[in-house]
Amino acid sequence: MSESRNAYIDAFPAEAKVVRAAFYSSFLALALGGVFGIIQTLHRTDVFRFIDSTDYYTVLTAHGVFLVISFTIFFLVGIFTWAITTSLDRSVKDIRFTWGWYSLMAIGITLTGVAILAGFTDSIDMSADVLFTFYAPLQGHPLFYIGLVLFIVGTWLAGADWFRTWWAWKQENPDERIPLPTFMVLTTMLMWYIATLGVAASVLLFLLPWSLGLIETVNPLLTRTLFWFFGHPIVYFWLMPAYMMWYIMLPKVSGGKLFSDPLARVVFVLFLILSVPTGIHHQYLDPGIAEGFKFIAMTNTMFLLLPSLLTAFTVVASMEHGARQRGGEGYFGWLKALPWRDPVFTGMALAGLMFAAAGFSGMINAGMNINYLVHNTFWVVGHFHLTVGTAVALTFMAVTYWFLPQVTGKALWNRSVALGQVVLWFLGMTFMSNAMHRGGLLGIPRRTAEPQYDGFEFEASVGSVAELDAQIALGGILLTLSLVLFFANVIGTALNGRSDTLPDNSYAETLSGPEDAPKVLDNLKLWTIIAIILVIFAYTFPLLSIIDRGGLFGPDINPFPVSIETIPMLAMALEGYTTAAVASAGEFAQATLLGVIR
Amino acid sequence: MGQATDTVERTEIGHDEFDPIGTLALIMVYFAILVALWLFMYFVEFLGNDPTVTGAVVPVVGLI
Amino acid sequence: MNIHTYEKLWLIAAMVLIVGFIATITYGSVALGITMVGDQEDTIEPRELSEDDRFGEPRVEQVGENEYEAYVVARTFMFQPDPIEIPENSEVTFYVTARDVIHSFSVAGTNINTMAIPGEIATMTAEFDEPGEYGIVCNEYCGSGHHNMEGELHVLPEDEFDLTELSVEADDEVALEDDDEVTLEIAVENGQLEDLETTIEAEIGDETFTEDVTVEGDSTYETTVSVDAADLGEGDHDWSVTVDDYEESGTVTVVDQLEDDGGDDDE
Ligand code: HEM
Ligand SMILES: [Cu+2]
Ligand SMILES: [Cu+2]
Repeated sequence: MSESRNAYIDAFPAEAKVVRAAFYSSFLALALGGVFGIIQTLHRTDVFRFIDSTDYYTVLTAHGVFLVISFTIFFLVGIFTWAITTSLDRSVKDIRFTWGWYSLMAIGITLTGVAILAGFTDSIDMSADVLFTFYAPLQGHPLFYIGLVLFIVGTWLAGADWFRTWWAWKQENPDERIPLPTFMVLTTMLMWYIATLGVAASVLLFLLPWSLGLIETVNPLLTRTLFWFFGHPIVYFWLMPAYMMWYIMLPKVSGGKLFSDPLARVVFVLFLILSVPTGIHHQYLDPGIAEGFKFIAMTNTMFLLLPSLLTAFTVVASMEHGARQRGGEGYFGWLKALPWRDPVFTGMALAGLMFAAAGFSGMINAGMNINYLVHNTFWVVGHFHLTVGTAVALTFMAVTYWFLPQVTGKALWNRSVALGQVVLWFLGMTFMSNAMHRGGLLGIPRRTAEPQYDGFEFEASVGSVAELDAQIALGGILLTLSLVLFFANVIGTALNGRSDTLPDNSYAETLSGPEDAPKVLDNLKLWTIIAIILVIFAYTFPLLSIIDRGGLFGPDINPFPVSIETIPMLAMALEGYTTAAVASAGEFAQATLLGVIR
Repeated sequence: MGQATDTVERTEIGHDEFDPIGTLALIMVYFAILVALWLFMYFVEFLGNDPTVTGAVVPVVGLI
Repeated sequence: MNIHTYEKLWLIAAMVLIVGFIATITYGSVALGITMVGDQEDTIEPRELSEDDRFGEPRVEQVGENEYEAYVVARTFMFQPDPIEIPENSEVTFYVTARDVIHSFSVAGTNINTMAIPGEIATMTAEFDEPGEYGIVCNEYCGSGHHNMEGELHVLPEDEFDLTELSVEADDEVALEDDDEVTLEIAVENGQLEDLETTIEAEIGDETFTEDVTVEGDSTYETTVSVDAADLGEGDHDWSVTVDDYEESGTVTVVDQLEDDGGDDDE
């Protein structure tokens, strides 16, 4: 160990190994997800089709699950572990426990992945083409749900690990403020604990027993509502680590200081209390939920804009501080003084810029009645490729260029390639996402292998569908190239030799520090209780009403497609296909079918 | 802090000397864009996309 | 906690934005009457749709002068009825449910869009002022044939629209020996509320019949025409019945004597 160097791996060699493992798991998921991403982009747009359209949904399930479950979450447990140990300046309580939760997550996602990928071959009687939302009565193989449960339990244990470490620190530092990075980790995890109750209830009480054949039926609206109880806050689970990077890394790489530590705390507290009681905004067009509940979800959602809007100011002001210290001047001229040659900075700044655009399409998504226009259209896909697909993913890739040397002890393979990579991602996403938004406004649906129909065409008042498809395909290709460059850098760095000149492990200082923040902000118990109360207010009545209407286990519905009971599935599928094929003569076809069978 | 990756001159600007006027300017531009786009999306794209679901409307008349 | 003045300004601007958004949406709901799909309808047993009054036979019904109701079933991988036909200048309430998994019912290029959830019935009312044709897509993944799930909504000019249904029952074979008659039992159903004035034209072999009828609103008119089998003679005879644009036709065979009363052919 060189005395001069003070990277993360030097201070925390054991933790650095876990963080590294988490990163590599995350990158593996990113690589797989990227491959599936380009396949479906070219397929949908009819540029190049080499898979069966029925396999498209296996691809889409894999793309969704690998990217938004494994890529994002593995990466964030890595940086959270880094944040806790660095900001508390102490090791985790027990590194075996840390490896334990990492392994549980890895095993879980592997099981889920196997269940999904088995859908490509007929030789294994297993599939889970249920997309990452797994709405019942679509049914996946039990392994799919079991894997997800293990993965989520792994994240719970990770949270426990960080809390333990913090408690230990608190014993020794009873009067100190919680360091900001730790504060962010803890609030995020509290939010996550509350949020995952929804999916845990949905999977453990209903979907898993149902997929195992222990219960006959489920209530599709109930499991769907429980999914979105979790499904909305999960987007903040992805986003809050990215925000953390914007608050504690971006000011530093801009050459400045964090503008306001107290406001950063306020923002994370707001996320903790407002993230969950909003999930019904994904169900604006669901029958069976009263309009009043939808309106409440909308107002909550709109107020949830506040922490993001505040973040925009604080983060930009911190960048400006850096720019002014570097000699920047004028109302807008200071922007030129920012370190645009640094991929870590440029990646995060472009991610933030994209997030500003995403904020706008998110505001539209939140607007209850305008949802008739955009719900489940390609617009939504455009939106979340800006949020999780860029604000989060590009931030993660950009900070990788700083973290990778920290946890490997090796210098980054190539900074110029890194710079090219982040710019390419930005360009690719501009094309792809913009065209997706526009396509959505024409009514082009999401999650569809061939959005080209026999009976009608989508009408564009400006441009044409072909032009949109071309932009989407072009965007997808640029994104894929960008991924190739990213992996070149990751692999190149891993193969590099040890470097003695790494920057110190550190994060941004503050202009207005924690001493300016009211003590009550650090009262995590209080905020958790408020969060729970708000959730109870927002969800008790909708859930009771759904159960009252449709029953706990719902009306009598066949699971579809059943993965373990193959015979009823075949019968159902056969019926489905026949009726679809001879749409008008549906009844006739069935009768003949029956006749033939007899 | 960190390695000297660039050779730009640094002037230390403290808490009280720093007014984020550039941020205010930028964010006001953002505000204007948001308002304009919101109005466009709601009143042109959405309301122009007839027919729209209107419930069994009792037309708002008879307010005398 | 000291917040910079500029940041306070932004805080206020942000609140204005949020309140403005909520106000716009509320304006849409209250002043423009844009209602959300809600929980007005009771749940329904998806397995028993075929016995249901409304969804057993997915269709369009007239319920008021310019008011119609469409009962729509979404199922893997089709919509019923298809196409949905309604007249221009009408107010249509869609009742949409799903038979198997979650689907959607989304009329492309309009703000008519809902989830179709098994067990739940979505209701949406919309006005159609002009004739036109719309595509209907399912925008919720519903299984491997999801991309094939489409339908059509036809808004017809008033004079092309009706809810008339013609059905004819006739024998396939008639025997000479029993002095049988060739009979067409004709039923004209008028699903609209106003009376339907029309002419029933029937043809059996060379014989023609014409009857001017008034079918009252929401009712069925039944009539029978017949010809002696002997007049037609042995052999195949075509018949047809026309009411407005609707036509039913078939062939009847007059034979000397029926081979085997009632029994099915069992080859
Ligand atoms: C090479 C880069 C990428 C390409 C070309 C790509 C392309 C696409 C396309 C075309 C769809 C729409 C499929 C459809 O609705 O029919 C899609 C869906 C999706 N993408 Fe990506 N994407 C990329 C990267 C990402 C990233 C980085 C993330 C998140 C971290 C992401 C998350 C998702 C999610 C969650 C869906 C929705 C899945 C679903 O509807 O079940 N994508 N992607
Ligand atoms: Cu959401
Ligand atoms: Cu579908």
